[in-house]
Formats: sequence, C-alpha cells, structure tokens
Amino acid sequence: MSWMRRRDLLKASLVGTVLSGSALSLFPKLALAENAARVLRGSATDYRALVCVYLYGGYDCFSAIVPIDGPARTQYEDSRRGTGTGPGGGQQNPSDLRIPSGDLVPIYQDGTTTPISQGGSRYGLHPRMAPLAQLFNQRRAAIVANVGPLVRPLNLADYTAGTVPVPAQLFSHSDQTVLWQTPRADTSARTGWGGRLADVFFASNPNQNLSMNISLDGENVFQAGQSVLPYFVSDTGVEAIRAVGPGSWLDHRRNTFNAMLARTHAHPFERALAQRIRVAEDVARELEVVLRNDRNPANDGFLDDTYQPFWTAYGLPWQRLDQARPDLPRLGRQLLMIARVMRQRVPLQMTRQLFFAGIGGFDTHDNQNADLPDLLGDVASGIRGFHDVLNAVGLADNVTIFTASEFGRTLSNNGDGTDHGWGGHQFVIGERVAGGRVYGQFPHLGLSGNPQNAGWGQIIPTLAVDQYAATLATWFGLPDSERDLIFPNVQHMVGTKVSIQGPNLGFMQPFA
Amino acid sequence: MRQTKRLEVPANAPRTTASRWRDRFHRHAIRLAAAFVLVMASPASAHDLISAAGFDEPAEGPYNRDEAARFLLQATFGPTRPEIERLARIGYHAWLSEQIAAAPTLHLPLVDTRIQQMGVDHVWDGERHEEWFRAAMIANDQLRQRVAFALSQLLVVSAQNGALEGNPTTLAHYYDVLVRNAFGNYRTLLEEVTLHPAMGQYLSMFKNRKANQSGTIRPDENYAREIMQLFSVGLVMLNPDGTPVDQDGNPGNGIQTLPTYTQDTIRGFAAVFTGWNWSTCVRTLGGPGQPPEDANGDGEYDRWWEWEFCPIDPVANTNWKLARAFRTPMTPWQIYHQSAGTKQLLAYPGVARGRVNAQGVLAAGGTAEQNLSEALDNVFHHPNVGPFIARHLILRLVTSNPTPGYVQRVAAVFNDDNGAAPGGVRGNLAAVVRAVLLDPEARRPTTHACTGPATGCIGKLREPLLLLTRLNRAMAGRPTNPNGVWQEGWPQGALAQAALRSPTVFNFYLPHYALPHPEVAGRGLVSPEFQITVDTFIVRTANMLEGRIYWQWLGNPGLPTSGSWRPTVIDLGLDTPIADRPDQLIARYDTLFTGGTMSREQFRLLSQHVANEPFHNWRPEAETRRVRVQDALWLLLVSPEYSVEK
Repeated sequence: MSWMRRRDLLKASLVGTVLSGSALSLFPKLALAENAARVLRGSATDYRALVCVYLYGGYDCFSAIVPIDGPARTQYEDSRRGTGTGPGGGQQNPSDLRIPSGDLVPIYQDGTTTPISQGGSRYGLHPRMAPLAQLFNQRRAAIVANVGPLVRPLNLADYTAGTVPVPAQLFSHSDQTVLWQTPRADTSARTGWGGRLADVFFASNPNQNLSMNISLDGENVFQAGQSVLPYFVSDTGVEAIRAVGPGSWLDHRRNTFNAMLARTHAHPFERALAQRIRVAEDVARELEVVLRNDRNPANDGFLDDTYQPFWTAYGLPWQRLDQARPDLPRLGRQLLMIARVMRQRVPLQMTRQLFFAGIGGFDTHDNQNADLPDLLGDVASGIRGFHDVLNAVGLADNVTIFTASEFGRTLSNNGDGTDHGWGGHQFVIGERVAGGRVYGQFPHLGLSGNPQNAGWGQIIPTLAVDQYAATLATWFGLPDSERDLIFPNVQHMVGTKVSIQGPNLGFMQPFA
Repeated sequence: MRQTKRLEVPANAPRTTASRWRDRFHRHAIRLAAAFVLVMASPASAHDLISAAGFDEPAEGPYNRDEAARFLLQATFGPTRPEIERLARIGYHAWLSEQIAAAPTLHLPLVDTRIQQMGVDHVWDGERHEEWFRAAMIANDQLRQRVAFALSQLLVVSAQNGALEGNPTTLAHYYDVLVRNAFGNYRTLLEEVTLHPAMGQYLSMFKNRKANQSGTIRPDENYAREIMQLFSVGLVMLNPDGTPVDQDGNPGNGIQTLPTYTQDTIRGFAAVFTGWNWSTCVRTLGGPGQPPEDANGDGEYDRWWEWEFCPIDPVANTNWKLARAFRTPMTPWQIYHQSAGTKQLLAYPGVARGRVNAQGVLAAGGTAEQNLSEALDNVFHHPNVGPFIARHLILRLVTSNPTPGYVQRVAAVFNDDNGAAPGGVRGNLAAVVRAVLLDPEARRPTTHACTGPATGCIGKLREPLLLLTRLNRAMAGRPTNPNGVWQEGWPQGALAQAALRSPTVFNFYLPHYALPHPEVAGRGLVSPEFQITVDTFIVRTANMLEGRIYWQWLGNPGLPTSGSWRPTVIDLGLDTPIADRPDQLIARYDTLFTGGTMSREQFRLLSQHVANEPFHNWRPEAETRRVRVQDALWLLLVSPEYSVEK
C-alpha cells in the first residue's frame, strides 16, 4: 500500500467513515505484503521508539521546576507559603508548600556552567529529581515550559471574554487526560495521537501480529488509534493461557477453545472480545519465547548485569538472581519491561514502537509535602535508570522518553495541597534531544498581576500539547505532509500568544 | 431431544425477537419434560434442585428457570441452585419485596469480629475483602449487597490510596453506609457519604479550610468537583432520557453540549465544603471558660495545630483500626468554615430553595451544617441526577447501552416514586432498583441489533469480580479454611477488580469508555468493562479459572491440609452425576451461568467437547466425569459468549 493510499484511509477515518470489520481484518495482510519488500531493503535497522511516561493525577510542575531567586521566587513564595505561621504545638505547618531555595538542584544551559535563567530568576529542580537534573546538565534532557491543551492560542483577555474556543471540561481529570493524549482538543474523540501515529506507521513493522503500541499501564487514550489497538504487557512479564498450552494432552481442550474463538458471534462485544483473546494468546506466546533471551536458563535470574542501572538509580542493591534482588518501584518495573522488549526488537521484527508507562498519585489536593517528593523521586530515578540501560545496549539514539500529565496544578494553595490547573512543564529525555535547554516561557508565578492566571493560579498554557506532540511525531518519522491530518490544530499555534511558533518546538535533533 | 430441536435451524441463523422468545418457550417445555425423566431415572443429589420438576409460574414472571437465573445474574452476586427455584416459585415482585425488607448484612461487624479473633495487628485490607466476599457468598440480603457494590463504583473511595490502604475498618464502615442506604433515599446517602471520614480523606474535604485573610490559601476544590462530576450530575446537561442536551437543537452539526457547571460553581461548593474535621478533635479555645478562638482577630484559630493534628480517639494510643474518628461522621469547626460571601451553586430551572436564589447563588452567612445541607439539596434536585443515577445502576446491573427510553423510565421513578401519579418521593432508591430490574428492557430485551446508542443493545461485558462470585455461588463454593474464612482477599491480581480498590475515583472503568473497535466505538456504543479487560488480565483470568476449576475442587486430595493457604473450593460433585449426559450438563450450565441465553453453536461446541472426552479403561469413571465437568466449566467461563451478559 502506498503512502497515498494510507493517507486516504487516514483521511477517510477522520471524516468519520469507520472501517468495517472485514476491512479491518484484511488491512494488516495487505500491509504485511508490502512490508516484506521494505524489510529486504534493510529498513529493519532503522529502529525508533517513543516512550510516554504519564504522571496520573496532574503533577505539580511548580514543585518540580522551581525558581531559586529573583522575581519569580518572590511570586512563588507568596503563592505557596500557606498560613505562613511556621511550626506550632511541636508540629510543622502543612500549609507551607515552598521548596527552600537551597534545596533545589541547579540546572545549566547547553552543558555550560551558565545557570538556566528566565526573567531574572534562576531555576532548579526538586531535590528528589537530581538524577534527572544530571541528564539535563549533560544535555540529554530538555524542559518544555507551560504546555497544555489548546484549541487556539489565547490570553487572559480572550479567556475571560470567552471569545476564543477552549477545550471542553478543562480541569476535569478524566477529560483532560483525554485532551493531553488526543490530537484534537476540540473534539471528544477517544483516539490518541500515539494511536493515530500507529495508524500511519504500523505497516512499517514486519511483525503485524504484535501491536506497534505497547502499554505497561493498561488502557489509555494516547495509544488508541482508528485501527490500531495497544497491546498490554504487565510489568512482571508475559503470561500465556496455561490450560490450552502447547502439550499434546491439551489438544482436545485447545481445539474446542479455538473453535469457540473462531466461531461466528452474534453480539459485537463478543466479536471484539474474541479478537482480543486471540491476540492476547498469540502475542503472549510469542513474547514469552523472546523474553527468555535475557534470562539465564539455568536459574531464575538475568543472564548478565545489563539492567543494574535501574537498581542503582533507585539506590537498591542489584543481584542477577530474582529471589535475591529487591523489587523496583512500579514505574521502574514498567520501564524495565519496556527496555527488555526493546532489546528483542530484532527477533520481534519491530522497527517502530510506542510505549506507555504510567505512575499515579499526583493528584495532591492534600498532604502534598508528604506525598509529592517520593513520586517525583520515582519518576526521576526510573527515567535515569532507563536511560542508562538504553545507553548500555546502544539504543539511546533510537529512543525518546517524554513525560505527560493531564494538567499542571494551581499556584494557589488549599491549606495542604493544590488543585487542578491547566498548563504545566514537561521533560523530554534521550540522546537525540537537544537538551540542556528550556523550550518556551516559564509563567509568572504570582496570584495577582499574573497575565496568565485564569483563576486562582490555573495557568493558561503558552504552548499547545499539539506542538509538543507534533515535534515528537516528526522525530519519529511523520512527514510534514501527514502532520495536519493527525494534528489539525497545530497549524493555528502561531502569533504572540504562544512562546514558540508552529508545529516544531525544536527540542528534537533530526534522526541521525 | 434438545439437540434434535436445535438442528431444525442452521446454527448461526439470525433469529427474530419473536422467534427467539418462541424458541425459549419451546426449550423450556422440552427441558421440563427432560427433567421429569431425569429425576425419575437418576439418583439426584440433594443439591440437584435445578433438575427437579416444575413449579407454579407466578403471574408476573419469571416463567421458567432460565428467566429466574437471568434475573439473579443481575440482582445478586450470582444465582444459586436453590435461589433459582425459590425465585421461580415466589415471583419477581415478592422476591424484590422480601429482599428490600431483609435486614442489612453489615461489613464492619464482620471485620471487627476478625479483629477479635486474630488481633488488631493481623487484620488489613485483605481481611476486609475476605469479609466482603463472605457477604457476597452467603448474605441473604443479596440484592442490597449487589446494589451496594454498584454504589461503591459510583461513590468511589478506595484502598488504593495512601490514607486508606491501612485502614480496613473505616472502609468497611464506609461500605456499610452504602449497604444501609442502598434502598434509602439518595439525598440521605449523599450526605452520609459526604461526611464520612473515609470520603473526607479520599477526596480531601476532611480539614478543608476557608480562605485566609491574606489570600494565600483558598478552599480545596477536590470534593466540590467530584461530587458534581461523578456522584450526581455529570459534566453536561442531560435530557430526561440521559442523552446530552444539544444547545442549538441541530443534530446536523453534532451535539453542542451544555456544561452543568463552571469554575465558579466549583469554587462555590469548595467554599461550602469547608470546616469539617474528625469528630474526635480536642479544642482548648472558644469553649466555656476557655480563651477565645481568635484573640488577635486574624480570622484564624490561634492553636491551629489542634485543627491540623487531631487525636483519632478520646483514649490515647487507641489503634487506628479501632479509633472513633474513622467510624463517626466528621464534625464542623465554624471558624474554619467559609461562612462569609455568597456561593455559586448549580443553576437550573426551579433552583430557588431555602437560601439559594433563582440563579443558584447561596446567600452569605450560615453555619457549616446549614450550608452543607443547602448545597446537597441543590445538587440533589438538579434534573440530571435522575438520569445520571438511573444510567449508572442500569450499567452496573443490566446492560451497557440502555435505550434512552429505559433510562427515562427509571429516571422518572427517581424523580417521583409515585410514577404516573406525582406527589411521591424523589430519590427513593428501592423504587429505582425495582424499576431498573423490572423494566421490559431488562426482562424481555427486544433488541440485540446493537447498531447504535439510540436503539440500545442488550449486553455488557461481565464485571471480572462477578465472574468469581458467580462461579462460587453456582457451584456451592465454600471455604476450606478451618476458621471458615473465605480466602479471597486479593482478587485484583487476576481480575483487575476488587471491592473498594479502584485505582482512582474514576472507578475501574469510565462509564463512557468505548473500545476502539469499529463495531463498538465505531457504532457509538460504550463498553466500560472493556477498559480493564486487557491482554494481561484476559490471560490471568483464564489462568485463575484454571486453578479454581482444575485444582480448587471439593475433595481434591492435593489441596493443602495445613498452613495458611486454605483456598475456597467449588463442588463439582453437584454435576458429575450427569456428566455422562452432555446435553443435560450443558443445559444446566446454560441456566446457571447464562440465564438460558446460550446460542446453539456454543451449546453444540460444549456438548460435543464433553461427549468427546471418553470414558477410558485406564482411569476411573469418576475421574472422567470430573474432567468432563471441569472442561465444560472452564471452556464456558473463558468463552467470549459467556463473557458478554445478555
């Protein structure tokens, strides 16, 4: 199938024509035929993967990237100080959400010793994010400032007057999660830009059995396309259905099981589920086999020390034997499994992959001081360990990691936490990232006199998620000619109300 | 006999509604005849009631055992063999009246008993869930328990939360609010939920305080947002039939939805929900003979730490699992309540009530209790609540894509339990539950077309946890633990679901989740349970069932007889006596597990499978019988057809 034909298909599905069941089942076969030729041309060496680390709950970016001094520090202190009484009755005051200047980890411009500075304020990272600060200072990570879902660029006057369209249901978790993951902030479509990318690219993978999109954290909108469904892997590995395993003594049962899946079903849910069970079972058996490649067949453990950096990053002791090794935190386990699957890209015949990992608990309406540091630490350590492993196995040039979260939080303080905001800061990590820089503008952090304050410190974004996503998609290989189909609003992200113009924010170096 | 009948029609021929029901009546008659023969011919066990002879059909139904079983799939944690007979004997109306009147089985006393037996240090959330399972298995107030479980997926609190994971007693006490009010009034339920310390911690209304004078602190918006979005009205204005209101009335350009509230509304409710803390706080200011609360006049309680750090019980060093703070409603501190200033509440036609004006603005002043009461009235009377609650209960009990008419009929009962003769009560949940279960669409579904949301589509993917309860209830499951403990503390590892363990306040799945599949999302249908029916759990569920069916069976000599793992077992012996008659066996499971909705093709595959599992000389006959029953059960329970309840 030519690019043109895929483009037509994509366009057709955008305007609402839905693939029929039979077209869906035929499509991979057509694509497979085309790709046999592509593989012969040697494109299998051109591996690229995007990894989304999703921070569920809306993470408080204003505690992650914090001004050290200058006017922004003064604004921040006012917004986050709480009752300001200090300790009393032998207790700390939980309403004081400020991170002391001296605790922040400095970050520097372009690998130099010039501190990152905007508007006369230097910025640093939360002390628990030191592992990520190191990557930033090595130019392996970049920060994208004040990005959020937008339909069109807007300022406070537009917002107050209601003259510019804004995404529906701002500030609601479930809806803004969708908005962050979808390429269309102006519709309620439940497909994500990762899924739409996969609609374009899935034909590039010689293996048409395994989905291009793999989720380590269950269902998500990001990876749902029109015709591509994500495949779900657990962080503990892959399991197959034992009762219909390969042994010949199970033939009778397996035959009936297969007949039950293959038969014609009357209900659309039954047909959809039968398809899901079939894929789950087939792919599980396939993955189960290749994931033995890094395991020691003689014992329950890994073959070598490749994955040690994860344990190092989390400050845990490493042992090859499973039993002797402490468990990683959940995000670490997910990223470890992603690294393991990536290493099997050749036997799995995958050239383009999108992975999704998630960590919850960021909805810090209360107990923010108690809960947030560990969460930020988990993210920074997990990403650091992951990056180090990718480096060691020669994949760091091929993989880009990015964070996402449904919204930033309010600058204002509710007594021991913060509420749902809008714009927030995100991290992009990888060898091909033009790192050591901040892309975009850090917002004013005050509650009064703040030109971006939509109310109580909900910050109007100055970059659109579409721009952020389109930049990553371009690196992934999306031609400019296809971009507007997936990101129809990105062309409108120009003018004085956005801090960087157009569809490419510039934080990715072209793929080498 | 049945097989012959089935062969008259090609296996996958589409059936019209009328023919489907005719067919069902035929099958019923055939089965009854077959049952008579069997009862005479075979040594039926005491439990084997399902094959017993006929019954007097109640006037209003169910008219046969299949219908009775199908009703019990919706109204209980699964049909048991005796309950099918009983319902078939007494009829839906009498059964419902009896269930609504039945004394509630409360969960906290069960957990407290475990604490007495095991010591407080050994009871955690696993033990709470074991007691939840016990109630699901053996409580007589099955309908109440099932509705409470449905409500626990609406008014969500979860042990997957730092503040609640180690506090099984406050969760059990919260669950009892749902159990007690399952047939009460929604307004009462909403208030008890709002003031419960578990909800207070989960959605941080607990210790939510007013704005301070310098403006650096303002009320927490968490509970304010979720009580509207998730517990009562949802995000957009609804028609009485639950469909979204189209602002411009022109369907040609899509639905232009109308938001139910604005950020101002959230701030209004946030201000209302201030000033609540544990009932056990000790205040040394402001009482008789005490210094004033606010000597310096800055609007703050001078000993703020008494508000921030309350003792959890009047008795020092009380274990938190026994502490009073976690089992009594929160109480107000007026000084931390935002009494000053007007508060924007929900605005809708007819909103003026009490101190709320026609624009939905609550007048300034008032105590924490007064303003809470006004605000909950304001929520409760919003026109969305009826269709919103109706849709939730229909989705949890009956089907994922009810027709708008079904939602509207149930919503009308929510709005007024006198139905056609207005003047009754709003929010009567007993009446609502009756309406959900007795609606023609629930009892006699007329559409299986599933072409889109307007025409409806009877069917829902079964909830994973119900797979487990239904298996055990159908197969007379029982604990082997010598203390009678059902060791079902952690089912979510295989099922992605456990009571009060949702990953977020958005429940295990979103009510509008649509599988990105051309025949689901592509047709505008929703499929909430598909959200957690992902590859990993499809495999794990099948493997869990393997353990349950091929290993955890009563009498298996391989079961542990010592140690701490003493699993629940099922009684295969109920069905091994008919394992040599495949059609009988599958017909029985059709009734028990699918309420008689099994297709001919599925029936044929399972029956042939059983028939082709031969009696060998090299193994005892009893073993072959057991393997036949096991295979029939496992294959049925992992099949796509079984997984979609219809």
